[in-house]
Amino acid sequence: MTPWRWAGGRASGLRVRLLLAFALLGVTTTAVVASGSYFQARKVILQQAQDAAVASLTDQLTKVYPLRRIPPSQEDLDTLAQRLSDREGFAVVLYRDMRAQGAQVPEPLTPELRQAVGDGVLAWQRVSRDGEPVLLIGTQLEIDRPDGTPMPSGLEVYTVRSLASEQQSVDRLATLAWLTGGLSLVLAVLLALLAARGVLRPVRELGRAARRLGEGDLTTRLAVRGVDELADVARTFNDTAGTLERQVGELRRMEADARRFVADVSHELRTPLAAMTAVTDVLDEEADRLPGDAGRAARLVSQETQNLTQLVNDLIEVSRFDSGTARLALDDVDVAAAVTATLRVRGWADRVRAQLPSGVLARLDPRRLDVIVANLVGNAFRHGAEPVSVRLRAEPDWITIEVRDHGPGLDPEVLPHVFDRFYKADTARTRSEGSGLGLAIAWENARLHQHAGEPGSLIAGNDPSGGAVFTLRLPRVATDTAVAADAGGVR
Amino acid sequence: MTGRRAARALLTGVLLLTLLATGCGVRPSGVITGRSATTGPAVGVGLYLLSHGRPALVIRETKGITVSPEQTLGLLAAGPGESERSQGLVSEVPAGLVPASPVTWTADGSGLTVTMTGPVLPLSTGAADQIICTAALAVAVTGGGDSFAPVTIAGPDGARPPRPCPIK
Repeated sequence: MTPWRWAGGRASGLRVRLLLAFALLGVTTTAVVASGSYFQARKVILQQAQDAAVASLTDQLTKVYPLRRIPPSQEDLDTLAQRLSDREGFAVVLYRDMRAQGAQVPEPLTPELRQAVGDGVLAWQRVSRDGEPVLLIGTQLEIDRPDGTPMPSGLEVYTVRSLASEQQSVDRLATLAWLTGGLSLVLAVLLALLAARGVLRPVRELGRAARRLGEGDLTTRLAVRGVDELADVARTFNDTAGTLERQVGELRRMEADARRFVADVSHELRTPLAAMTAVTDVLDEEADRLPGDAGRAARLVSQETQNLTQLVNDLIEVSRFDSGTARLALDDVDVAAAVTATLRVRGWADRVRAQLPSGVLARLDPRRLDVIVANLVGNAFRHGAEPVSVRLRAEPDWITIEVRDHGPGLDPEVLPHVFDRFYKADTARTRSEGSGLGLAIAWENARLHQHAGEPGSLIAGNDPSGGAVFTLRLPRVATDTAVAADAGGVR
Repeated sequence: MTGRRAARALLTGVLLLTLLATGCGVRPSGVITGRSATTGPAVGVGLYLLSHGRPALVIRETKGITVSPEQTLGLLAAGPGESERSQGLVSEVPAGLVPASPVTWTADGSGLTVTMTGPVLPLSTGAADQIICTAALAVAVTGGGDSFAPVTIAGPDGARPPRPCPIK
């Protein structure tokens, strides 16, 4: 997963969580409030309707008195039922086994209601008749005794009243409650998105800045906004980046100082060394005529002066690479001829098995190719065993030169450090014939050749059949690293 | 972990919504009781017949004529009328058993005494209750007093122990 995708996934996770939390909060709050007010309103609506119906019934019943005849005739009951029925409901009048009803529909009287009425109280009950809510109110008609206590007459009056209009009001309330809930959910989601954006933008900025810092841009800073935790993080990030930039700058400065020092020293040594070389050349010529120890000493001085000159030259070369001032001197070269010349000049032409197909042309720096090949072949002679072979291969865009010896090969522990400066494979041997910079310089030279942004390479390895193999890969049409970089800068 | 938590939240929400949805509309209720039943006056003479062995109040029209307690007890001895019989009302008071003298208060004033012309000891409990309730109500209507006063029924063969009307 790419870092960008990773950051995106995390951000959306946080957003989803915030969204869920807000939505849940909104819905819960609305549900509690809306349902609370809904139930309250429903209770009030029903209570008012019931109270009004009960009051209306008792009001009508007072007009029934005084009672004139008990037991009543069926006619009396019918008259009473008709009087108590209106368009909102109808009445049912019972006396023992007699009944009269104000409407021709089955009456939904429940046993528990009849029980309550029989106990001598005014009672009512909501029941469902064919899915329609109806209110049943029932009472006995009692008679006042002279002393004020009532006595039952045996007459029971019930009214059946539809609650359809109340049902409509309640349904309207419910619709309103659902609507409120839906709106609040939408509002909660909008708020959550807004909040998530507010939180996620700084987080995303922080992630982007951290990535830039990781990629090496130490000047990366965040804008610190507000005084919250995220601002704290941004401030800490800025402090860290600042410290890092300072320390890395310090290290770079120290490193540059050290390199400059080496370059300066090398340069300063060149002049006295030139003089010394002139003197030792004379001494060398005279050495044979000098007696005993003096002659040996003269030859030793001459040899060491040569080594020192080589070392200083290598150091100067390396410091050029380090300071980035190394430039390619490109020329069209017949690679086979160039390699053959390198071998011939150093007197290795007879000792090396060369497989050099002719006609391989390349545009590269011939001096650097010479340095690399001489280094590799010289190393093979010094550390490996003969026979040493050099093979040239040509590809459409690249050439490959393989230098192979038949010695013991490279120790796996040594392999990663072969191109390190002054790396000694044999620690017991403190002084080698070379400067210790040869392979490092060869590696830098290979990398200096570039093609389409891809640098040349020098790879060390072991042949399965024994012996070390150094593979040099150079572009057929090289461009200078530094020049390419400059061109990029101008563009 | 996050998934499980989300699922739990979703479940809670669904449960809440279901709860809300099922609580909607006008629901049937249990019986709600209010104040005591409607009462009012009655016009006429009240007497007690028996319905399924229990005294039941009957009110007959009098067309404005005042009826004395003795006359009321006389109506009782005459038995139920046509419409009353059709309602299953009967009387166990034997025909001809009427008060021999006006209904009087007992000596200590705490109860009523009804003296009958015929024997009272063989009367059934239903018949006795009819007489007791009717006499108490009639006295209460004419002269005030208590409808639950204990009533002693006396006759030539002796007296029944005093008893109040069992109908509240």
